[in-house]
Amino acid sequence: MDKAVVLRGITKRFPGIVANDGITLEIEKGEVHAIVGENGAGKSTLMKILAGIYQPDEGEIYIFGKRERITSPGRAIELKIGMVHQHFMLVNRFTVLENIILGAEKRAGMVIDEQKCRKVIGELLSLYNFSLDPDARVEEISVGQAQRVEILKVLYRGADILVLDEPTAVLAPQEVKELFANLRRLKEEGKTIIFISHKLDEVLEIADRITVLRRGRVVGTVVPSRVTKEELARMMVGKPVFMKLEKTPVPAGDVLLSVKDLVVRENTGKPAVNGVSLEIRGGEIYGIAGIEGNGQKELAEAIIGLRKTSSGQVTICGRTATGLSIREIRDLGVAFIPEDRHRQGLVLPMKVWENMILGYHRKKEFLKKPSLNLKTAREFTEKRVKEYSVRLSSIDQSIDGLSGGNQQKVILGRELSRDPRVIIASQPTRGLDVGAAEFVHEELLKKREEGKAILLISADLEEVLSLSDRVGVMYNGRITAEFRPEEVTPEDVGVYMLGGGVKAGEGA
Amino acid sequence: MKRKYLITVMRILAPVLAIVLSAFISSIVILAIGKSPWQVFYTIFRFSLSRLDSVAIILYNATPLIFSGLAVSLGFRMGLFNIGVEGQYLIGAFFAALAGFTLKGLPAVIHLPLVILCGALGGMLWSFIPIYLKVKRGVHEVISTIMLNYISYSLIHYLIADVFMDRTQKLLDGLGSMLARTPKLPPSALMPKLHGLLGLFGIELPRHVYLNWFFPLGLLMAGLTYYLLMYTPFGFELRAVGQNQEAARTAGIKPERVYMVGFLLSGAVAGLVGLSDLLSYFGYMDLDFPRNYGFDGIAVALIGQNNPFGIIVSAMLFGFLKRGAEGIQTLLNVPMDTIVILQAVMIMSIVVITKVMNDYIKRLEKKEDVRVCSSQNSSLQV
Repeated sequence: MDKAVVLRGITKRFPGIVANDGITLEIEKGEVHAIVGENGAGKSTLMKILAGIYQPDEGEIYIFGKRERITSPGRAIELKIGMVHQHFMLVNRFTVLENIILGAEKRAGMVIDEQKCRKVIGELLSLYNFSLDPDARVEEISVGQAQRVEILKVLYRGADILVLDEPTAVLAPQEVKELFANLRRLKEEGKTIIFISHKLDEVLEIADRITVLRRGRVVGTVVPSRVTKEELARMMVGKPVFMKLEKTPVPAGDVLLSVKDLVVRENTGKPAVNGVSLEIRGGEIYGIAGIEGNGQKELAEAIIGLRKTSSGQVTICGRTATGLSIREIRDLGVAFIPEDRHRQGLVLPMKVWENMILGYHRKKEFLKKPSLNLKTAREFTEKRVKEYSVRLSSIDQSIDGLSGGNQQKVILGRELSRDPRVIIASQPTRGLDVGAAEFVHEELLKKREEGKAILLISADLEEVLSLSDRVGVMYNGRITAEFRPEEVTPEDVGVYMLGGGVKAGEGA
Repeated sequence: MKRKYLITVMRILAPVLAIVLSAFISSIVILAIGKSPWQVFYTIFRFSLSRLDSVAIILYNATPLIFSGLAVSLGFRMGLFNIGVEGQYLIGAFFAALAGFTLKGLPAVIHLPLVILCGALGGMLWSFIPIYLKVKRGVHEVISTIMLNYISYSLIHYLIADVFMDRTQKLLDGLGSMLARTPKLPPSALMPKLHGLLGLFGIELPRHVYLNWFFPLGLLMAGLTYYLLMYTPFGFELRAVGQNQEAARTAGIKPERVYMVGFLLSGAVAGLVGLSDLLSYFGYMDLDFPRNYGFDGIAVALIGQNNPFGIIVSAMLFGFLKRGAEGIQTLLNVPMDTIVILQAVMIMSIVVITKVMNDYIKRLEKKEDVRVCSSQNSSLQV
């Protein structure tokens, strides 16, 4: 029997990073094949290639035994590949039926043949045992139901291969159960399912085979019955080789950053940070581990003043920072390396030197009476560029054209060269290649030796454990455990990251 | 470096291409009404450029559009769409007129600057309403400024025809009726023409040309705007907020404050739009006071690509077309609407062409980056 999907040597490069590096993978017809890996391992890129959104730079794709080039999402549908996106693409005001047929209406002359559509959808619903009212408006149905609409959309278009991108991320535990029941039924009917996730419990429950990706490469393909969760986690994270970073002992200084009972709410009123307390001394790196979306981002943004705090207190260098403006907080000596450098760190169309002084452009040295002092700004930039070996053709170049690693160096140069006392680094190596990531690590350690207090937030467990002096695990808006990295293994921390250790239940 | 050169060339080429394309499309329109496109275009050029007074009229036509384009571009640069320049300049012109006819006996050196200042103040005041609503209440500036334009039309009408109407107008016995207009402004409030200065260079302009000192003032304003945007810390913040509000906020800039100050500046410049007409041609404000400069300013800013110097050029282009329209109307009996069509087509082509070109440039850059990076990687592995 033909394989449903065969990938050979798929490589995809983005500026500064190889997202997929020679991926070879076979997916049998009628199996549930899970693809797991950490954030940034290349799962999404691979699936986007399969869905026709990206084109691979190298490699071959075979669909049901035939070599194909998936040139567009439309072509993917023709090849019977259906993508169920993590973020729903539904028209809220339309009914379930209207959403399903949208763009693929069965017609009778000029008008939509609603009866025919209704019949086809009715058949699909009963064949796969989906409970769904075709006439309900999407805005009125639950998240789990909306996801079923997405699945039906691709089935209606005749998909035989379903790609589900992190389908459980938005679901409550009982909805996950229902989804799995649906998936099993689809499998019985001969559909092939590719299931992307980083939740190991779920993958072990539903998948026939599991392929693990790490840093754009396939680590291996395993069968759930012959592997434990811990083994899988190790494959995902890599061997717990502590990077060979020289960590000289630094005498602890004063408490420079202190957070007390901090509560930060989302717009919906739900607390994203729910009573976090921590203290960081000079010469100390405090790492926060945790699966993304557990309040890390909100914590960082609250400290720097980007987010309002509901209650609790932030103290920086002995002074209350709660309620101050971002500029005032920065002036207390806080440097911020934001997790999304394109959205928060840089103004992309602007020049390199303009980005290098952004936020500090009203400092004395960059002003000359009514105007900016372009000369000192440029000198400052040239110096940082040399110091951080940023690769560029000119500091007048738009920062758009720099690779991710070099863009991050510009941010480091801007934030760290002003002798800050507290550094908040949020996912500082995300999307960087190994060399650039190493550079960032060394910089952070250098600052530690200089006696700065550093809050390091990262989804990369290896990074957190090898850099930090203390590690807190954040889960559901709380710090649920605190370790010294030398006392624990990544697996121990992993348990807490998944919500274990405290109270089981309530999926991550 | 070579790529950068190419990009600059393409940036300049885009409007030129758009003009050519729109001339081509307009030719079809001209053919459709049974005239020769060649003759029409030839007449536009000959009529507009063959005589010095005609050139001066083009500059006079361009004057309000320079201010208007600058006002709109200030909004665009910070990511806001100030459609309200229309209303702001009418209110500004009225404030200026009010300061002109109520204050008496002041010397020109005090009176005229005061009148101009009042114009800017009026525009600023009218722009305060939408930006306050936006910053404090999240009201979208497009909606509020459009609505305020209508309000300003009616308000001006009321003020001119009711409250401040000049009832002392001397009419010939039994002839005509009173004009709905404000009292005339005294000479101390009027802007001198450029005739004197140009006379020094041997350029004699006839009396029917109203080119005045607002034209050089407009050029100066463009220079100031450029300086503000590119060289001052506030201009830096304004551009940063316009291009990535989130990053600007993270860097400690308060976007709301930038919006407030920037929009008020835009309104102040808008307040000067109508003054060239008011203080040299009319000398009073009436119900026929020119309209649409505010909307034309959007087109001017768009074609000038929000660059102050580009705006000067595109304002002159509009002034030229307006003059040319008068020419083909009188000489060839071609309706003025042809020019309006030409303008509209030109705006559309420029939007399309710059978009296509920018996308093309972006793609070029991306490709180049991937190539450079992968070659760097492979050289690392070797």
